[in-house]
Amino acid sequence: MNSIAIETSGLTKVYSSSFGKRKVEALTSLSLNVSTGMIFGLLGPNGAGKTTLIKLLLGITFPTSGRANILGEDITGYKMKYKIGYLPENHKYPSYLSGGEVMQFFGKLSGMDGTELNKKIDELLELVQLAKWKKTKVKNYSKGMMQRLGLAQALLNNPELIFLDEPTDGVDPIGRKEIRDILVELKNNGKTIFLNSHLLSEVELITDRVGILNKGILLREGDVKEMTQNKEEYKISIEGNSIDKLDDEILRKASFAKMNQDYYSFKVENTQELNKILDLLRTNGIVIKEMLQQKNSLEEIFISLIKEADKEKAQ
Amino acid sequence: MKNIWIMTWFTLREALARKVFIFFLTISAVVLVIMAVVLGLSDKASFTMNVSGGNMQFTNPINMIEMMIVSPLSGLCLLLAIFASASFVPIMLEKGNIDLLLSKPVSRDQLLWGKYFGGILVVLINIAFLVIGVWMIISIKFSYWDFSFLTIILVITFTFAVLYSIIVLLGVTSKGSTLGMMVAYFIYIILSPLLYLGKDKLLVFIQSDFIKSLIKGAYYVVPKTQELMGQITKDLASGKGIEDYQPILTSLAFLILTMGISISIFRKKDF
Ligand SMILES: Nc1ncnc2c1ncn2[C@@H]1O[C@H](COP(=O)(O)OP(=O)(O)OP(=O)(O)O)[C@@H](O)[C@H]1O
Ligand SMILES: [Mg+2]
Repeated sequence: MNSIAIETSGLTKVYSSSFGKRKVEALTSLSLNVSTGMIFGLLGPNGAGKTTLIKLLLGITFPTSGRANILGEDITGYKMKYKIGYLPENHKYPSYLSGGEVMQFFGKLSGMDGTELNKKIDELLELVQLAKWKKTKVKNYSKGMMQRLGLAQALLNNPELIFLDEPTDGVDPIGRKEIRDILVELKNNGKTIFLNSHLLSEVELITDRVGILNKGILLREGDVKEMTQNKEEYKISIEGNSIDKLDDEILRKASFAKMNQDYYSFKVENTQELNKILDLLRTNGIVIKEMLQQKNSLEEIFISLIKEADKEKAQ
Repeated sequence: MKNIWIMTWFTLREALARKVFIFFLTISAVVLVIMAVVLGLSDKASFTMNVSGGNMQFTNPINMIEMMIVSPLSGLCLLLAIFASASFVPIMLEKGNIDLLLSKPVSRDQLLWGKYFGGILVVLINIAFLVIGVWMIISIKFSYWDFSFLTIILVITFTFAVLYSIIVLLGVTSKGSTLGMMVAYFIYIILSPLLYLGKDKLLVFIQSDFIKSLIKGAYYVVPKTQELMGQITKDLASGKGIEDYQPILTSLAFLILTMGISISIFRKKDF
């Protein structure tokens, strides 16, 4: 049962600022489907239109053209928001409220009340490790604490679909790991998570699918595993540098090259070639300490895609 | 309905965090205490004599004493309230705040109405505290219980509601508090009193028919805060009732129109 959580078609947003003189096309004819039960990461450089997309989906800003559905309902309504959670970038809370009161406020606006709400608030503040700050006014919160409160707030109504705009922004490394764990846990409970980020290595760790957005245009969308598929490229570490004296056809063909102190890189076409190389090294008495298969990182893909797109545009 | 109430309630919380309203409640409380002490010390008989001796052509003297205290304080209350409430809507519209609110299952209309009623509720509480306080002290002192005096709570709050609708409209359009505050003060302190005088008294000095009708027209369009806080409040306080409903009805029409425009702009606004 893989239904669609987010569905957009031809979604376009043009902002016209300073009395309509200057126009910014923040999103250009975006068509995207996100299935339920996954973590989807939307990546893109600053100003790519990531936040704009979320705002359009949540009715915070209105599309210039195109349409979109979330959880099967058109975005013009507001009733489906009972099933949605959102952590905006640069979120602000009424500074005169304490963390607990902020949760009360948003909980009530999400249609919750009484002991059910109080229980949920305690549970969530515990989850994001703010329980002991519950009575502290939010104006005294640190940036990371605000971010944790924002996450807790987004989970109040037990949402089916959660939008997170830079959720780990300003959070320390341990906190980031904790947030990632929470997100994976949510996914395992059947929730759909839509994540905006430019922390690529982090996104790579948890997302199932990613979309890469640049200047309002979706450059690529797909499965993270497929995108970062292994290359037939290896990295090997050996003891000593006796390998430099070896001069063999096989090694030359694999473009065997020294990377640094102990590491060498090489490419092979198949497993047989790989084993031939290993045999050659072993018969020459070389001690292999470590061997790694090189992967395309999301970062490499991202950077090359963006560069390519910008070059095309320049031409 | 429930969502509007939640927004109203938290606007009230916001107002309490703004020290201005506490400041006004404190002033009211101090005035009430002084009043109670002064009246408590003075001779009841001499007052009663004056009261019964007062000419009935004037308003009831007890109400006059009440109004002497309530009038300047309620005027001050509105001045402070305009200042304190001008930022309610702009703060709600700040980036990061509005995003969060709009992601909740709440309609944009409900958000704006909540802010609107919240502002009004704060003023209602302040005015009610002052008026009921004054009324209680006087009523106890003279054993004279005239409930009609309490209706002025509604007129004064209504006056604020009209001014606040302008603040909301300009808050939604400009996303700032300064413009709304300035326009509200301008109407309350200058324009409404001037047009009130102008429509009969000053008109004599003006030759041009065109300007005359312009002033008359402006008089009907601009909210009549001068009359609401002046003649109508006085009449209600003395139990005379309302002679001319025109200032109330035209001001109400202004309020409805202004809020209608605010809501339709807010519904379409990008954040
Ligand atoms: N309210 C607005 N009015 C005018 N232009 C806007 C508005 N909001 C965004 N933009 C423009 O739209 C473009 C996309 O902005 P958006 O905030 O969606 O980018 P983003 O991908 O979220 O960037 P970041 O990674 O910096 O958060 C930018 O060029 C921005 O200047
Ligand atoms: Mg953004």
